[in-house]
Formats: sequence, C-alpha cells, structure tokens
Amino acid sequence: MKIENDPSPPTHSEDGVDLTLLRWFLTLTPAERLQVLQDHIASVLSMRGDETSD
Amino acid sequence: MLAAHDAEFILVGGVAAVLQGAPISTFDLDVVHSRSTTSLDRLLAALETLEARYRDPAGRRRAPDKALLASDGHHLLMTRAGPLDVLGTIGQGSSYEDLLAHTIPMETDPGVRVRVLDLETLIETKQAAGRDKDLAVLAVLRRTLEERKKR
Repeated sequence: MKIENDPSPPTHSEDGVDLTLLRWFLTLTPAERLQVLQDHIASVLSMRGDETSD
Repeated sequence: MLAAHDAEFILVGGVAAVLQGAPISTFDLDVVHSRSTTSLDRLLAALETLEARYRDPAGRRRAPDKALLASDGHHLLMTRAGPLDVLGTIGQGSSYEDLLAHTIPMETDPGVRVRVLDLETLIETKQAAGRDKDLAVLAVLRRTLEERKKR
C-alpha cells in the first residue's frame, strides 16, 4: 500500500528559517515591509522604555 | 532625507534585505555613499538637517565633515531619525561606483525612489565580511532569495 506524503508545505527550512513568515513577508510591497519594520522597532523601543521607567 | 537632498547613495544592510522581503529586524540604516564632490555636499547638507553626530563611546559630540566623509571608512552616526551608518566602502573595498551595477531602484515612500543593493550581492558581501552578526542572517537571506526566484 502506498503511503501518501503530507501535501502541506513545510513550515521551516532545513536550516530553521520560518518559511510561513518569509512567504507572508514576500506578499507585501517594499513600502509595506518597511512599515512592518518601523512598527516593530517602535514596539521594541516602547517596551524598552516601559522597562526602564520602572 | 538623503534622497530629498539628492545625495547619491546605495541602501545596504538589514533595511535593504527587508525591502527585498527578508523578515529580519534591524535598528540602523546602512548606506554606501558616493564620494563625488557634488554628492558629498548634498550628503553633508542632509546630515546637518538630521543633526548627525558620530556615535562616540567617549560621549564626545563630533559632526561629520566633508573631509571625513570623503574617506573610504565607516561613519557610524546618530541622527534625530535614528542610527545611520554611512559607509565609504563595504566588503572587499567595494565603493558606490563598484556596487552601482548591482542595485535595483525601489520606492520606499510614495515618490521616494532609492537604489538598493540586490539580494545576491548583499549575501556575497555578508559572506565576505564573515562576522558573526553577518553570518547570523545569511540563512534567512538565502531562503528569501530562493523564494523570490520561485515567484
């Protein structure tokens, strides 16, 4: 009896890169990617500010 | 701001990778600048507007000047818009002119087009640099390149 392979693509590459994240990021325009980065930096700086204000 | 002053530069480093689809994070902006006299004047004007100062561990406040920016060294600056690394050369001494053929124009904001170092060359540069921080992102950059080629 033939065993079917799982048809869903892998979520990670062999070297551990999250392919779901990568493929989502590639659907964005360059400007949108930049916006995601800027939002991420703002979030991190905000959290860091919250920590230092304690 | 650099583009608004018509300074000639190539976006390299993490932001260049992000623009081309690599899901990584970075806190500074890296550019390789043209060291032609005209462009240096424009770059300096932009840096003055940005109130750029060297990131000096000793805390001294020193602004970049034209003579310094004309060198092939790395100028690690802090500006009112955040950290900005202005690089005379990268990798094995590659200058703005050397890299120009390996760039792609990209629109980062409506009406703002910048030259970005292509992913293949970015990977080669990081491999050549061989520093831990460069090697750490190589897997993501290579996978990004692979996925882009499939599209």
